[in-house]
Amino acid sequence: CNDKLDIEPVNDIPGENALLTSADVQAALVGAYDATSSNRVYGGYVQFISELLADDGDFEFVGTFVQPRETQFKAVLTNNSFVSATWNDSYRAINIANNVLANLDKVSEVERKRVEGEARFLRASLYFELVRLYGRAWNDGNPQTNPGVPLVLTPTVAFSAADKVARNTVAEVYAQVITDLSTAEANIAASNGFFATKAAAAGMLARVYLQQGRFAEAASAANRVIASNRYSLAPSYAEAFEPTANTSEDVFAIQITQQDGLNDLNTYFSPTQRGDIEVSDQHFERYEAGDERADFFDDVYTLKFDQQYGNIRILRLAEMYLIRAEGNLRTGGTVGATPLADINTVRERAGLPDLTSVTLADILKERRLELSFEGARLHDLKRNQEQATTPDSPPVIIPWNSPRLVLPIPQRERDVNPNLVQNPGYN
Amino acid sequence: QTRAISGRVTGSDGAGIPGVTVLEKGTTNGTSTGGDGSFSLTVQPGATLVLSSVGFTTQNVVVGDRTTVAVMLKEDAIALSEAVVVGYGTQSKADLTGAVTQVSGREVQNAPVPSFEQAIQGKAAGVFIESSSGKLGQGIKVRVRGTSSVSGDTQPLYVIDGIPIISEDQSATTAATNPIADLNPNDIESISVLKDASASAIYGSRASNGVVLITTKRGKSGDTRFTLGYQFGGSTPTNKRDYLNATEYVELMREAGTNVGRLATVESRLQRYSAGNNDYQQALVNTDWQDEAFQDAPFSQYDLSINGGNDKTRFYISGLYSDQEGILIGNKFEKISARVNLDQKATDKLTLGLNFGLTRTRNNRISNDNAFSNPMQIVALSPISPLIDPRTGLLSGQLDVATGLPNNNYPVYYNPLLSEAGASYVSTVYRNLGNVFAQYEFIPGLSLRSELGVDLLNQEEDQYSGRITARNNGPNGGDGFNRYVVNGRYTTNNFLTFRKTFNEVHLVEAVGGMAYEERRIKANSVTAQQFPSDAYTKITSAASITAGSSSETSSSLLSYFGRGTYSYSSKYLLSASFRVDGSSRFGKNNRYGFFPAASLGWVLTEEGFLSEQNVLSFLKPRVSIGRTGNQGFTDFISRFLYRANAYAGVPGQRPFQLANPDLKWETTTQVDAGLEFGFLDNRFSGEVDVYQKKTEGLVLSVNQPGTTGFTSQFRNVGDLENRGLEFALTTRNLIGAFTWTTSFNTSFNKNKITNLDGQVIEGGFLNRAVEGQPIGVFFGREYAGVDPANGNALYYLNTVNADGSRSRNTTDVYEDAERVIIGNPNPKWTGGVTNTFAFKGIDLSVLFQGVFGNDVYDGSGKFQMANGSNGYDNQTSDQLRRWRNPGDITDVPQARLFGGNGTEESSRYLYDGSYVRLKSVSLGYTLPTSLLEKVHLQTARVYVSGVNLLTFTDYPGWDPEVNADYLASFDPTNPSSGNISQGNDFYSAPQAKTYTVGINIGF
Repeated sequence: CNDKLDIEPVNDIPGENALLTSADVQAALVGAYDATSSNRVYGGYVQFISELLADDGDFEFVGTFVQPRETQFKAVLTNNSFVSATWNDSYRAINIANNVLANLDKVSEVERKRVEGEARFLRASLYFELVRLYGRAWNDGNPQTNPGVPLVLTPTVAFSAADKVARNTVAEVYAQVITDLSTAEANIAASNGFFATKAAAAGMLARVYLQQGRFAEAASAANRVIASNRYSLAPSYAEAFEPTANTSEDVFAIQITQQDGLNDLNTYFSPTQRGDIEVSDQHFERYEAGDERADFFDDVYTLKFDQQYGNIRILRLAEMYLIRAEGNLRTGGTVGATPLADINTVRERAGLPDLTSVTLADILKERRLELSFEGARLHDLKRNQEQATTPDSPPVIIPWNSPRLVLPIPQRERDVNPNLVQNPGYN
Repeated sequence: QTRAISGRVTGSDGAGIPGVTVLEKGTTNGTSTGGDGSFSLTVQPGATLVLSSVGFTTQNVVVGDRTTVAVMLKEDAIALSEAVVVGYGTQSKADLTGAVTQVSGREVQNAPVPSFEQAIQGKAAGVFIESSSGKLGQGIKVRVRGTSSVSGDTQPLYVIDGIPIISEDQSATTAATNPIADLNPNDIESISVLKDASASAIYGSRASNGVVLITTKRGKSGDTRFTLGYQFGGSTPTNKRDYLNATEYVELMREAGTNVGRLATVESRLQRYSAGNNDYQQALVNTDWQDEAFQDAPFSQYDLSINGGNDKTRFYISGLYSDQEGILIGNKFEKISARVNLDQKATDKLTLGLNFGLTRTRNNRISNDNAFSNPMQIVALSPISPLIDPRTGLLSGQLDVATGLPNNNYPVYYNPLLSEAGASYVSTVYRNLGNVFAQYEFIPGLSLRSELGVDLLNQEEDQYSGRITARNNGPNGGDGFNRYVVNGRYTTNNFLTFRKTFNEVHLVEAVGGMAYEERRIKANSVTAQQFPSDAYTKITSAASITAGSSSETSSSLLSYFGRGTYSYSSKYLLSASFRVDGSSRFGKNNRYGFFPAASLGWVLTEEGFLSEQNVLSFLKPRVSIGRTGNQGFTDFISRFLYRANAYAGVPGQRPFQLANPDLKWETTTQVDAGLEFGFLDNRFSGEVDVYQKKTEGLVLSVNQPGTTGFTSQFRNVGDLENRGLEFALTTRNLIGAFTWTTSFNTSFNKNKITNLDGQVIEGGFLNRAVEGQPIGVFFGREYAGVDPANGNALYYLNTVNADGSRSRNTTDVYEDAERVIIGNPNPKWTGGVTNTFAFKGIDLSVLFQGVFGNDVYDGSGKFQMANGSNGYDNQTSDQLRRWRNPGDITDVPQARLFGGNGTEESSRYLYDGSYVRLKSVSLGYTLPTSLLEKVHLQTARVYVSGVNLLTFTDYPGWDPEVNADYLASFDPTNPSSGNISQGNDFYSAPQAKTYTVGINIGF
């Protein structure tokens, strides 16, 4: 009679039966992509939080949600639900990647390196975003001692006291990110559909090095993406964003379809949805006359995210030109091309005339305009030691290294794990 | 050799008693009396007749040589000999040592409500019943002795003829449906509510919320009797609210605009909402939108039952058709029901039988309370908007002349009338509820009973939203949704019953056996868009299939149970029971739960020292203690699970849940002390109970470090308790030709959460579950009225002072005010009082029912009682007393268009939800036999009845009996659903006031 009680689930399956074959582990890898595409991770919040925290008056948040408003005021409460959702969903994706990595022995030999590379790419990208949002910047104090985020590198198969992990240092997290991305770049082929590719890993690595101020390595990594010759800039700026599918310049993008995925940049930025972000004159004044990018607005709303079922672009080729240009300029190198040539490549696509000479300020300005609202702003602000302002009247200046530009460790998380030290400025 | 006898059974008043069971002792040969109390029967010589009827003392009559007998039955107010249905058997009321409330099926006969629970509201002490609104076929909240769970199910277990049945919500929406409505109330013989652990523990891991045992009518041998019933009537809302008229609305909106310097905007909007013209300036249009939400709501019901048999075979066959329109436009509930109950005496020792019920219900449902298409939300539309748009000659909002599509900015919101005209949502249920049984008597007093029951519920939900609903629904080309649920459950019970009296004083009864149950729910659904025209409504016609799903879940329960009772001289009573439940839901380390109970009773009036007095006719103290469980949580939550998650059309999977092999039932330990009493020949009788229910190991979603990749796990951690008092009293005020009986009951229950592992679970608008408080308390800012100087809304700071008290200073900055406990949705006490009168053939029954000490939060306040500070919604007329000039003393702040002045959630919209209701009145006339004989009828009764006729309350909303449907339904995957999110109103329909006229004839 006892076996009458052994009823097996069918909507879900017993975890013990989930990772038995090569195909099972690869399905889990796809699951990790899906988790990474969560609207609370790369589906929107990661980029959105970066833009709101970094804002210095370029836009007004007019929505009713308090979580983004707190963020734009740089007065995030420890119970801000966006902040805890991004934390939780990122670690959820990391855990799936860890499950894949712990079960590589089941993956067929021909697929194994790729699967490992992709899982490491996702894990590294997530840790890179987490350490930048929840830890102090690389150039702010001593990353060897500054707390970053906990590095969890093995899958959770049962809850235990060991789950109450402490924060690793910023440097430890960066080191793991670089290890993972380097492995990913070595392991994944140049062509891999819309999943992570060799170039995606190199592109992400370029960002990491840039954030650390390792400009030569950043230029070199960006150059590897450009030199792969697999990508080309879309003919116009608008054409880089209007298609719902990947464009020729997308090195890595989160896939959104009518059936699957939620594009929260569309939710908040697009006038067809909440239309919560109204761009101000200050932003429009940054553009030179004739800049086509200045026209890519519907009144006060950016059109970058107008496709409800449009992919979310994480790495675009244009950014690679900008990183290579900056890396070369700062080191006096000419890896791949001169900084002037790279900047003019980006400017030409925006319908602007070529520059005849280029300064660091030119490159940073180009970055700001080219990558506007895409989530780069906070991290550029910090590494270049700029400042943000609050929407108060008059605005309060928030310096680049203010604790207010670092998210709190979520209250919910500290309630269940007292080993997590809170960031300065929060309690 | 047999002898035909006839007779008449009367009460002490000399009037005939209909429906008395007349049995030849020791046989199944019998009949029941007709309308005038007369009967005829053929018996063996020397027979003894046993006459019994609920409410009367059973009497034995030796026939002797007589061919006619006249019997007077003695009224027995507390019905001590009445058989009370308990788990796996029956017991006499006098011998019972548990707390059981039994309601006779007569109490629910012909009630013009879809589901029988509504008909016992206010009639059973300790049983709180609440309809969420006046929508038909919706979930009904039933709480036996308080809420015993935070995240688990809190509805009682329903058992029909020994078989636990499907009673849980089957809806695709967040508004619950009620599978109990599939029953025909006229088939019910009795309803027993098992309240204390002594009575309920034999149902083990499902008994913590109480158990409702329903028995259906069985055939009686004798002449075949037909009973035909017809009734018709109609319903209206219990209440309507007052709204601003066109003049008042325009004045308010202009004032709101002026106060924020946006009068020009207001004028242009008023013109828009005035169908693009200036009629609003002279108030030429004054639409009463609220009236449009309601419809004429006729009700009719036909039913027939046939009852009869011989000494071998007895049958009860019934059929019912009822057709009830709801008070809200588009709402309707239709039921077709049939039942066959059959008993066959195969041999002297073996009895076989079946109980078989078939039902089809069809519910034309309407949108959830929080949907723009909910008809009640029509009140938000401006009185200056005409019903018919003069520009199109169609319903306002149906067509935008410029685009040819539905108008998306006129009227203010989507017009719910468009859904009535252009959308449908029909839920059709086919229910097959049946069981077969065999009972074998080995020796007198020892028998084995085997039952096999199947409950099969097939439900289709079919929705189509046509083109004119696009503003509400999205797609311009029509939107279809179809879902099927097959919910099947089978049960087998096998148990031995032993009953024997030793030495005439030692009565021993024992029951023991096993049961196995398995339930399986399969559901599939399809969503599609783009239909060629609205004439096509089935998904086969759609151009685009946008979503589809199939799913399945199941569980099983393997149980062993037993009960022993011992009574010495009907004086000293002892009972003990147990159940062992093994459930597929429990973790593998806790597969079986053990649920024991014991009780004692002492019938003092059987003692010699009380025999020499006439005051006290019955006195029985009793005590019980026992343990019950609750396993009303999601299947498989103890398991380690992976779930599919696709990415861009590529299949994927992820770990979804980690195992908790220790997970088990929630455990409730209940102690009960009761006293049953009767005075003056039981002219006054009743019972009082006090109880304490302590629940431990609540199954809660406990937060886990997010760094694990998971955020929570279900564990047994929390505790709560319910303490209460119940009192029931029946007095026979007048006996004789004119009888008057009063039944009164009242219940007090106090709920408190004692441990939630430090967690706070929020729900509703302001509800929360938090340690030290009753479940679902309202937690929010305390409204302090209006600053006379400037019309600002004020809130009490409620910050904690140095001395620990709270600051009563006020602030106009909402965020600066601390949130505090501002109310409690749980009633402090409830009660009901029924007066029944009878004189000659006339009978009258009047029930008042009341709920006291609970608060109701009106979540719609921020929109419709918002002093014009939250948009263009029409406002309730109490907003006329808004602040206008410095020095005005009022509680309604200044109007400020979109200014949010006082519109945040706060105690401003929290009200005392106490009410007293004239719940039901029934006046009947039984035609005299002399008249009926001429037309060859046995009985005929005509009656008029009414439900919810009068409501007395201070609640300013539509109706204080309210529980916004989209918040109130229980969802085991959402810890903050139903149990916590209670006591909320959100454009919820008022209850229905129903009048009917009916006739029952027997022949």
